[in-house]
Amino acid sequence: MRQRFLLSVILAGVFSPILIAQTAPTEKPAKAKDKSGAFDPHDLSGKWNRVSPFQSYSNVPGGANELQAYLLGQAPAPQKLDVETAEAPFTPEGKAKFDKNIPSYGRRITAPMLGNDPQAMCDPWGVPRMLNGQVAGPHATIEIVQLPDRMFTFSQWHHDYRMVWTDGRPLPKLEDVEPRWNGYSVGKWEGDTFVVNSVGFDDRTWLDHNGYPHTDQMRLEERYRRLDADTLELVMTITDPQYYSKPFRSDTKIWKLDREGGKAWDEQIYCVPSEEFKFNKLIRDGGVGKEQRP
Amino acid sequence: MLTALYTSTGKAIESVGIRQAEGSGMRKHLIVCLIAGGIGGAPAFAHHGTSVTYQTDKTITLTGTVTEFSFSYPHPQLYFDVKDADGNIQHWGSEFAPTPLMMKQMNVGWARDTIKTGDTITITCNPHRVPGSTACLAKELIVNGKKLTVGPGRPPAQGPPAQGKE
Repeated sequence: MRQRFLLSVILAGVFSPILIAQTAPTEKPAKAKDKSGAFDPHDLSGKWNRVSPFQSYSNVPGGANELQAYLLGQAPAPQKLDVETAEAPFTPEGKAKFDKNIPSYGRRITAPMLGNDPQAMCDPWGVPRMLNGQVAGPHATIEIVQLPDRMFTFSQWHHDYRMVWTDGRPLPKLEDVEPRWNGYSVGKWEGDTFVVNSVGFDDRTWLDHNGYPHTDQMRLEERYRRLDADTLELVMTITDPQYYSKPFRSDTKIWKLDREGGKAWDEQIYCVPSEEFKFNKLIRDGGVGKEQRP
Repeated sequence: MLTALYTSTGKAIESVGIRQAEGSGMRKHLIVCLIAGGIGGAPAFAHHGTSVTYQTDKTITLTGTVTEFSFSYPHPQLYFDVKDADGNIQHWGSEFAPTPLMMKQMNVGWARDTIKTGDTITITCNPHRVPGSTACLAKELIVNGKKLTVGPGRPPAQGPPAQGKE
């Protein structure tokens, strides 16, 4: 059943131009034009590569990584990155939880053997972390597929997807749903902005690779705009008063349409427990017993 | 104020300076300065904590026999046996920093089937920070006498590609 479902999703992706033509915002705007050519601002489909600098949920200190082009041998080592940052509006409880999350990235970088990043156990990322596109290029990608009644976002890294209903159903009440890894999401168009609201997230996920936490009471709003044929913008805001004293807004995530990469074979980057656990034990943890670790 | 948040012992140094913006309370500016040098120009690439797991300023060279090569994500893994001076076998493991796709884009010229179980290898790598460990971060490889490029920051491989496909 699951395979049949996945196949249908893949086929939907292949034939997405046809399906998008059937997508049903009630009043579809006239196609806009820009120098990149015609595009439909209500069509978000395609493979998108993140180009905005922050790999964290928001523009927090230590959340950027400008190394990817250098790593690929495409640019010299970066000398300086000067960007505006701000710390999260933690409550004391939120800050305490943050301090318990020990990441292997960013300003609190810690050796994985001493950390507790849930991805080391191949746990799912959850939606905010998936949408950060946090991995360095060429892996900072998402792919969006629109159907008449829902939208899928695929994350190549961890080979995960999330679903957003667009059939007009209301967002479920928080007290009526069991927390799930990717929560419960509904979306609608407000002008040329696609607005997704979600509740019901499993609180074991982190907002990003820096270890910013959330509770299972978190509400997530995503606002997408296709700025031109090749540019997609996303701003997320979470409301989670137990951990954050006010709504916590992400930085503005920008992706560029990957026209060539979108035609490539699926990389299928799963986190495979049998590989990951062996790797952790024999390589990342040094191949030594726990008593020898620092 | 310049605050060193993390400085590896290697030649790759990442430091972060934070300055308070005037009248802006929590708002700060972040300056990331990266100075890279040394072997392969190895950067403090915060991918899965690599830079704090290995001693990136040191290299060791080992010769052994491949027991397993896994061209996996996020890091290809190479397992091999090394005979010590007393003739005892040590089981070693090494990871490659770039993913398979990154290696392809760096034109390293080799891939999955280049390394096989039973091959003789000489590997130059950054040792793990834990004393007594049998793991390292691969920098250079010689497999059955043929030199293979591994690490990031190196120029594309010259000459005909080694045997192998993506």
